[in-house]
Amino acid sequence: MGKRIIHKALLLLATLGLANSTLTAETVKVGVLHSLSGTMAISETSLRDILLFTFDEINAAGGVMGKTIEPVVVDGASDWPLFAEKAEQLLVQDKVAVTFGCWTSVSRKSVLPVYEKHKGLLFYPVQYEGEEMSPNIFYTAEAVNQQAIPAVDFLLEEGLKKFYLIGTDYVYPQTTNLVLFEYLQSKGVPVENIGGGLRKDASGKVISAGNYTPFGHSDFQQIVADIKKFAASGDACVINTINGDANVPFFKEFAASGITSEDCPVVSFSLSEDEFRSLPAKDLVGHLGCWTYFMSIDTPANKKFIADFKSWLGKTSVPGLIKEDRVTCSPMVLSYNGVYLWKAAVEKAKSFDPAKVMEALESGITFDGPGGKVTTQKNHHLTKTVYIGETLENGQFAIVERMADVVGEPFLKGTFKKQ
Amino acid sequence: MNSKRRETYLVLIYCFVMALLPASHGQSTEDSQARALLVELVLGDDDSRASTLEELANHGDPIIATFVAGWRGGQVLRDGDDTVLLKIGEQYTDLLTGVATQANPENLKVNRPSRKLRKTLKRMVDLIDLSSPDLGKRIQSAQKLGLSQNPEYLPDLKARAALQTDAKVKRAFNEAVWISELSNGTEAEKLEAIKALGSLKSFPARDFIERCVSAETEPTAELKQASQQALQKIDSHRALIDVIGTLFRGLSLGSVLLLVAYGLAITFGQMGVINMAHGEFIAVGGYTAYMVQNWFGSTYGEGSPLYGYYFLVAIPLAFLAAAVVGAALERGLIRFLYTRPLESLLATWGISMILQQSFRLYFGAANVSVSSPPWLAGSLSVGDFSMSNSRVALIVCVLFVVIGTRLLLTKTHWGLHVRATMQNRQMASCLGVPSGRVNMITFAFGSGLAGLAGAFLSQIGNVGPSMGQTYIVDSFMVVVVGGVGNLLGAAISSMGIGMVDQGLQPILGPVMGKITVLLMIILFLQVKPGGLFPARSRSLDD
Repeated sequence: MGKRIIHKALLLLATLGLANSTLTAETVKVGVLHSLSGTMAISETSLRDILLFTFDEINAAGGVMGKTIEPVVVDGASDWPLFAEKAEQLLVQDKVAVTFGCWTSVSRKSVLPVYEKHKGLLFYPVQYEGEEMSPNIFYTAEAVNQQAIPAVDFLLEEGLKKFYLIGTDYVYPQTTNLVLFEYLQSKGVPVENIGGGLRKDASGKVISAGNYTPFGHSDFQQIVADIKKFAASGDACVINTINGDANVPFFKEFAASGITSEDCPVVSFSLSEDEFRSLPAKDLVGHLGCWTYFMSIDTPANKKFIADFKSWLGKTSVPGLIKEDRVTCSPMVLSYNGVYLWKAAVEKAKSFDPAKVMEALESGITFDGPGGKVTTQKNHHLTKTVYIGETLENGQFAIVERMADVVGEPFLKGTFKKQ
Repeated sequence: MNSKRRETYLVLIYCFVMALLPASHGQSTEDSQARALLVELVLGDDDSRASTLEELANHGDPIIATFVAGWRGGQVLRDGDDTVLLKIGEQYTDLLTGVATQANPENLKVNRPSRKLRKTLKRMVDLIDLSSPDLGKRIQSAQKLGLSQNPEYLPDLKARAALQTDAKVKRAFNEAVWISELSNGTEAEKLEAIKALGSLKSFPARDFIERCVSAETEPTAELKQASQQALQKIDSHRALIDVIGTLFRGLSLGSVLLLVAYGLAITFGQMGVINMAHGEFIAVGGYTAYMVQNWFGSTYGEGSPLYGYYFLVAIPLAFLAAAVVGAALERGLIRFLYTRPLESLLATWGISMILQQSFRLYFGAANVSVSSPPWLAGSLSVGDFSMSNSRVALIVCVLFVVIGTRLLLTKTHWGLHVRATMQNRQMASCLGVPSGRVNMITFAFGSGLAGLAGAFLSQIGNVGPSMGQTYIVDSFMVVVVGGVGNLLGAAISSMGIGMVDQGLQPILGPVMGKITVLLMIILFLQVKPGGLFPARSRSLDD
């Protein structure tokens, strides 16, 4: 009797084990590498949410080449060396086929050698400064010529003549502003009409353009007074690359000084709908934003995307997920597009091997996303539609300009000739 | 029965008159033409809009200004295909007829102008505003039209400039005329304009004068000399304004520092408690302002005039809320640690983390947004120098706090007890001072001041779970530099730090400026370790 029970139990275990192994054979591991704690958590948690939503959506439709996506979520904790460790863990221990992750440029720079060493594949979704093209990273992000340069073109067309550059003191604003400094001059804007100050090295070469503040700066009186002086003769605007919550004291000071968005519009590159959840949008009405997606895009594809995401939020049981007042924004949609592009590339290459998938991506794959059509390029960036929007009192954007099929170009420094 | 009939009758008459009123208003041909054009503008496409705009420019109707403001703010709505409604407050009016109507909000679609269109419309409104009874509006529109240097506006500006009686308005009109003449006038007019603008010391004109001279292929010696003199006048005036501005900004930054540090100067300086949770009391004040704002918003509605006064209610409540939390902390924890200052440091640090996490759990990890009431949002100008109302309010509040605290401590019975207890806790108790209660109230008062600071900071910065962390270092810095235990020292050191910081910023930039200030403080403390006014309080010696 006892022997038979043991026998049965063994048989059961064996079948279970078998079932288990067939189950693992049908899944593909995919890494999610974002900060779920620390200062960047506010922004990056939204990207984790949208990625989990996308995986569920793809799994419900049959998965990737018949395999179910099994997400491996790790926390970079806003700690850059930890990002590298977690990336190593994803590649070596979990053997993920692909990773979606990183927000700040410094986290990307810190995981880059890990992906190159282990020949992995990373999708990077957040607007960045360019000057980089790793064989193991695919940048769904906006390059400088898909955000800053279209915005400047738009402002020039509006008849603005003076540009004040201001940003937080780190790599993205510094590089972007240097590119813009060259670009503005190539468009015939004289140096004295570019405000914020210049720093030159010993040989007289400009190494920094614009006015920079530390992270979390809270006193913008002096800077706003300077902008007011700069804008006194009219036709001036501000190019703002201030990061995170330092935007609040800046815009409050700006509004209090009596300058309106008609006298001197501010175009911001780091403020999307998601950031407006914690910003007083009233102080920003009429100022501009430039992204490759806005939640207010009025197409059936976008409406369906937002509705699907919201209904997923209602059903999901992921712990610690915020369900109320959620919005969609450009980095989220670029993450979403990234997953679908990867799926299409895998299906084209008929393999999960990162090198083959990258080859398929380089050959040009098109996906109709919520923000319009995107196409992968040989230089690991995307061709996509750029939108310019005006901030509304509810933290959304009214789209005022649309530029279709802008080709992403990472290397811009030194390509613009002075007029 | 009879009276009821009469009532109905009256209501009917009332309705009839009410219906007639806006209609009779709409009967003036000027008005109805303008309205029809505006409707066309909303419904038309880009091509037809250009011609509509031209026609519209010939009308000077006030409805255009109301409409443009509403169009921008999303108050112009399309009901179906051909009806356009204007929403004022909660009331819808048909744009074409000017009659109030009912509408189903679900069928309405907000209509917004393109930026370009809005800019053209703005110009048009400016032209209308040139004769506005509101002098401020008149000045603004004159300035804008002058800066555009559009020759079309020049005759209009010239004609009206002569009619102005108010000195300020006259100055704005003349300035506009002269700036416009810099590009549209004859040689002689240009020369006159440059001279006049120079003696006006007009800031906006600076760039235009330079451009005017460089646009000439062969500027005459006279023109060159006049422009040089004018530029020199403007520049020296600007330098003066810059100095005044920097002084004001230094005063205002100093006031922020003083407000956040003054509570600490009492709890740390007077009582000797190293209170690491001081920053979180500031956050309590900020969140109180946020909650009061939301309560006013949901009770009275954000559009109501009462909503603007939420801040006046928030100030005392922020003080009280932080004081209550402070009193609870003192009773529950700190009173056991008066003889063990280092342990109080660790304990309050722990409290600060607990408080931060509670903010996160209750209000969410993201910052919350507190909007400024309209009366605090604008700015005050004196000549060419302007200061924002919120900053002025802050400076006034700091003055009150400093004077009030001084009076409380020196003129009241309670103040005497406080000073006695702070000098020697045991001796004061021996002499019959209820030192336990005095400690609690003093600590609560210091915490309350931090809450007050939080309410004011919500007007100029972020309110979030970690807002206290931004200010705690600055607070300790002010107290230590001023001399621990000396309230006047804290006041002087905060003003000094504010002035030096703002003075260095234009020269070194914000990043290097801040580093230099910190370096200067370190060096200063090497020379004078006790701060500006070293205290000889016994409570710190043991």
